[in-house]
Formats: sequence, structure tokens, C-alpha cells
Amino acid sequence: MVNPVPVVKDVVFQNLLDDPYPSYDRIRNLASAVWVDSARINLVTRFDDIMEVERNHAVFASTNPKSLMNKVMGHSLMRKDDELHQIERKALEPSFRPGVVKKHWGPIFSDIADRLISAFEDKGEADLFKDFAGPMASYALIELLGFKSDVAWQDISLWSQSLMDAVGNYSTDPGITARGKAAAGAIETEIDRVLGYHTENENPSILSSIAHAEHKHSIEQIRANVNVVVGGGLNEPRDSILTLIYGLLLNPNQLARVQKEKRLFATAFEEAVRWVSPIGMYPRRVTQDTVLGDTQLKEGDQIGICIGAANRDPSHFDDPSVFDINRPRQQHLAFGGGPHFCAGTWVAKQMVGEIAVPMIFDRLKNLRLHGSRPVIENGWVFRGPTSLPVQWDV
Amino acid sequence: MITFTFVNPDGTETAVQVAPGYSVMQAALANGINGVTAECNGSAACATCHAYFDESVTSALPEIKEHEDDMLDFAASPREAGSRLSCQILVSEALEGTRIRLPDAQ
Repeated sequence: MVNPVPVVKDVVFQNLLDDPYPSYDRIRNLASAVWVDSARINLVTRFDDIMEVERNHAVFASTNPKSLMNKVMGHSLMRKDDELHQIERKALEPSFRPGVVKKHWGPIFSDIADRLISAFEDKGEADLFKDFAGPMASYALIELLGFKSDVAWQDISLWSQSLMDAVGNYSTDPGITARGKAAAGAIETEIDRVLGYHTENENPSILSSIAHAEHKHSIEQIRANVNVVVGGGLNEPRDSILTLIYGLLLNPNQLARVQKEKRLFATAFEEAVRWVSPIGMYPRRVTQDTVLGDTQLKEGDQIGICIGAANRDPSHFDDPSVFDINRPRQQHLAFGGGPHFCAGTWVAKQMVGEIAVPMIFDRLKNLRLHGSRPVIENGWVFRGPTSLPVQWDV
Repeated sequence: MITFTFVNPDGTETAVQVAPGYSVMQAALANGINGVTAECNGSAACATCHAYFDESVTSALPEIKEHEDDMLDFAASPREAGSRLSCQILVSEALEGTRIRLPDAQ
């Protein structure tokens, strides 16, 4: 039985930000796609439906003439399909290959983590959001891009947040748009400063990979794709570092297991991004009238792919709201599932699961949640802890 | 149509008939073969469509490019001489009658 898209009017936007999972459960039970008034988009929350969307980008396109992302960042590979997407994606690949990540970026990530931990390890308490995960992801991104170290971590963090805020600025608040444009301008200046170096000196950085790609990129293409990497390459490693630490601190038995058997940190990382997926939702555009699951969609419909919901779909995961590294190995959708599959997957696996989080538990003895300051989690389009206060023995 | 056989991790075999031009990964998914995960659906980014091709056909397959080569080193199961990412191999006459073995873990 195929029905038109049901409309839900009573999902409170603040509730989505505070804890989207009860709303996801309700929407998932209702239909394959549900119009949610407060989110102003048709949400798709079932695992199998999202797999279908990911495997059929002719019907469910990434290109979108009305894209806010294009307005703020320029027309990047995130909003292209097929050949046009592939040539730009291929240009980025050399920086992101697992072997390059392990051999080249791994030691750089280790140095960053070591430096950050050394700065606070004798204090006995910290907020791992601002003292560790934020600067960790920021410094790593500065290196990955090839921006060189004169960019402050707070700057790139602000640029990233400003771009993401502007991309999600559906209420068209002029202040948010202005901050997004200012961030894109600052990034442009930084590209101009270092692009000549990378053109002349081939190296593993993203700017060098683009400069030496088989497909010659216009300066607009370079700027747009660097904007995407800045906007999308910071909060995911930051948030997954915090989510993984939080999941392990909540589950001392699992923590004891990974500390005894270090290779399980990699498994725990996969479970962390399933449990609280850093990218919770991304949009697609329906290019022709079509049926998705039990729902009739129309040409031009905007759908929001809720991988944060799919990764808690009870038809795929037992007790999906529980962080459990002992689950059977199975596919999750935290990195997406189609041609736009996260290009930074191996960077994340290495930085978070192999380096930053194992080092935190190794260096901070008897690490535990803070006795009196609460953990705060926020967001649904992007979700993660925004404060993770902890204490340890000194 | 080209006919070839997937050898599943548990040793059972599944013969499939596939039109030329589809990738071996797509052929596996379309035929409900569980030994291929294909998380990235053919973007050569996840190394979860790893398959072992028989030495009698490897020379007829397209050359391994740098990206696939790097990715194969990080597949969940050990790399062997016939290891390929099945998303990078298109079904062709060269695969007629061959047996493609799938690893224990993707």
C-alpha cells in the first residue's frame, strides 16, 4: 500500500536539537518519508530506504539549483553527480588513501595529540571538547589542507562553524549569511597564500593533490571544494572523538576490554559513529515521481536522509540506543553509502580510533566523567557532545 | 549473459548470470551475495567488496591502479595474489565460468 507523504506538525525543533532519537523513532514508525513542519523537509529514517536512495542517485540527486551550500561555499563536489562529481573526487583521493593516512598523516596526528595532552595532563580535569577534540580536529585539518601552521585552531574552527551555520540557514538570517561569507573569504585568502607552494612542491596535502590532479581545476572549483573540506572535515572527527570517549566512560566493562586489547579501539570507533552519527542528516532532491518504500514522492521533493536514525533502526540493530562494542560486525551508514561516501573515512578511523582516543586513555589515569559538571550533547543535522568535562588522577 | 560463480565464506557456491558491463560488486549485491558489503557502493573508498579472483583470469583483468592497490592493503581479510576490489572489475567474457572467492570478513 503506497500513501502520500504524511505530515507531522508537532515535532518541536528544540527537541530535535536536544535529543532527536524519540522523534526519529516516531517518524520511522510512520512512513518511509514524513514531512516534518519544524524541519521543513521530508525525513527518511529507515535503514533499507536509505540504502535504496544511496544506490539510485539518478532519482535521488545531490545536485540542487536552490542549494544554500552552493550560495555560501560555491558549487562543490558535494552538490554534483556522476562524471562531474567523480573527477573532482578523484582529485582528492591521493591525500585520503589508507596507506598515505597511516604512513604520512598518522605521525602528524600523534604529535598533535601528544602536544595537546601534555598541556593539560597535570591538571586533573578538563573539558575534552575545547581542550582536546576541538583543537585536535582543527590542527589536523590545517595540516591535511596544507594551510601551514600559521592558522590558529580557533580560526579554522570558527570558519568551519560559520560555513556550516550558513549552509543550514534556512531562515535566511542575514547575520549568519554574512559570517559564512566572511569565513569563505578568509579561506580564500589562505588558499591564495599557499597554492603556489603546493603547485611547485607536490606533497600529500589536499591542496597539493588538487593542484596536481589529472583534471585541471579552476580556482572556483578549488575554493568550493576546500570550503567543503573545512566545513565538513572538522566537526566529524571532533565529535566522534568525544562520542567514543563518552561511550567508553559510560561503559567501564567495555573500556576495560579495549584497554586490554587495543585493536578493539577500531571496533569501538565504528560503534561510536553508529551510536551517535556525527553527520545526522543530509539532503537529496527527488528528480521524478517515484515510490520510496511505502510512500509516494513527487518530482522536486526535498528529502532529508537521516543516517542518525537509520543507524538506530531496530530492524537492523538490537537495542540500537545502547553503545555496545560487542555487537556482531555489520554495516552502518555513518559514512554514507553511495558515490558521496565520506572521502575522509580512513583519516577518521586513524585519527580517532587509532591515535587520539587510545592516547587519551593511555595518558590520563583513571579517566572518568566529571563529578559535578554535566555532559552536553546537541544537534541533529550534526550531533555530538558540545561539552565533555572529565577528571583523572594526577 | 556471462555465467560465473561466487564461493561464499562458508564454502557454499552461488552461480550467477550477469550482463556484461555491470561490476562484479553490483552482480553480487543484485544476487543477494552476503559476502560482499560494498559500504561505499562502488566509490573505491571502503575496501568492503574485496574478492579473490582465480589466477587463470587475473591477467585478463584491468590493471590495479594506485588507489585500489593502497586500499587492498587495508582490507579486513589478508591480501592475496588474486585480491581485487570487485567494484573495479566489470563483468566481461574473461569471467565466463570462473570462480570468485569471497573473504571471511569485509
